[in-house]
Amino acid sequence: MIAVIGLVVGVVAGLWLQPTVPIELQPYLPIAVVAALDALFGGLRAMLDGIFDDRVFLTSFLSNVVVAALIVFLGDQLGVGQQLSTAVVVVLGIRIFSNAASIRRHLFKA
Amino acid sequence: MTARHGGSTVRVVDASMTLLNEVYRRPLDPGYAEAAARRQAAGAPARRAPRVVALLLVAAVLGLAIAAATLALRQPPTAALAARQLLEKQIQQRTDDTAQTQAHINALSSQIQQLQRDALGTSATELARNVQAESVAAATVPVAGPGLRVVLSDAPTSDPETQDPNDRVQDIDLQVLVNGLWAAGAEAVAVNGQRLTATSAIRSAGEAVLVDMVALSSPYTVEAIGNAGRLQADLARTAAGQHLATLRATYGIGVDTSSQKHLSLPGGGQVVLQYAQPVSGTPAPAPTTPRGNASGAVRAPGGLDVASSAGRTGRGGT
Repeated sequence: MIAVIGLVVGVVAGLWLQPTVPIELQPYLPIAVVAALDALFGGLRAMLDGIFDDRVFLTSFLSNVVVAALIVFLGDQLGVGQQLSTAVVVVLGIRIFSNAASIRRHLFKA
Repeated sequence: MTARHGGSTVRVVDASMTLLNEVYRRPLDPGYAEAAARRQAAGAPARRAPRVVALLLVAAVLGLAIAAATLALRQPPTAALAARQLLEKQIQQRTDDTAQTQAHINALSSQIQQLQRDALGTSATELARNVQAESVAAATVPVAGPGLRVVLSDAPTSDPETQDPNDRVQDIDLQVLVNGLWAAGAEAVAVNGQRLTATSAIRSAGEAVLVDMVALSSPYTVEAIGNAGRLQADLARTAAGQHLATLRATYGIGVDTSSQKHLSLPGGGQVVLQYAQPVSGTPAPAPTTPRGNASGAVRAPGGLDVASSAGRTGRGGT
């Protein structure tokens, strides 16, 4: 719960302060946001499963974002940034999708 | 199964698909289950204050970062924005320059007129009248009088980007309308305040309609000085009237015709001819009446211009 509260506080602060992102980080933003979404859905599902854990949630959130950005960075250096971005989006997309399906089963029992 | 197949381990049928299976079957981070198992084994752990604060802090920072990233993604790239602003500024500047130059031209034109009047004086009233008539004919001076106003406007649309070009007013439509007005006896015509002179052309460049090199946009107000009743009746009788009816019925283009008691058309500025010389030996046709000369001289070039342009471009379907 603490993690969720902290996250909400952070998002509100972000919307309020409107911080600017350094231009060098711009290419990694879309993937980072997708990774964050994946972690959010995972956390929501864990919560419904009754096994939510603040530490795991935050660790997965952080590592997801960092690893996704890192993969894109690596891809850029190798000249396959676009393809690796696609790969990351596909994998995270599948995970988001199946987690969303699981959440749906929890909520609607169907 | 023979011994050659190696031991008792049964190969998974879709071993080559482990990556996809892994992704698909275990969408939830296994860490959650492990943490839950640990908790069960150790009992509910006591929440220590530093740990809570650390969690809160990390979460807040993550939220902040994600919010910032999302906000940054929703903004258009700064480089494109800057370039756009630069272009907008340039357009604004050039437009101002043009307006200033136009004002200067108008001032000089009236000065020329004044000087002409002074030079001719009262002694040569006949000459002065001729000059006056020629100026009106050449559309270099502002004129006023009763006439007809026709407003053409693009068909209403929700998205101008994807609008069918046929639903917009095109150069051909203005050409046909102006041609019809000249034919109906108009003595002076202006489109959106651009006076049509002997060297004016109505054409299109890209999606803009150019009248005398000035880009205009919808609605197009065509003002013609002449006998309003006659203009209207004759316009309706000619092919131009039919064209306007088609525009209204088929393409939804707004056509609004109204007779005006008083129209005031600006002058077109001085026309400078660099190459054309009067042919020596043939006397210039003496103006019979100023009025007849006016309509004749202006109408002919206008008609020619329109006819040649109309042959080049054609509105599909009309």
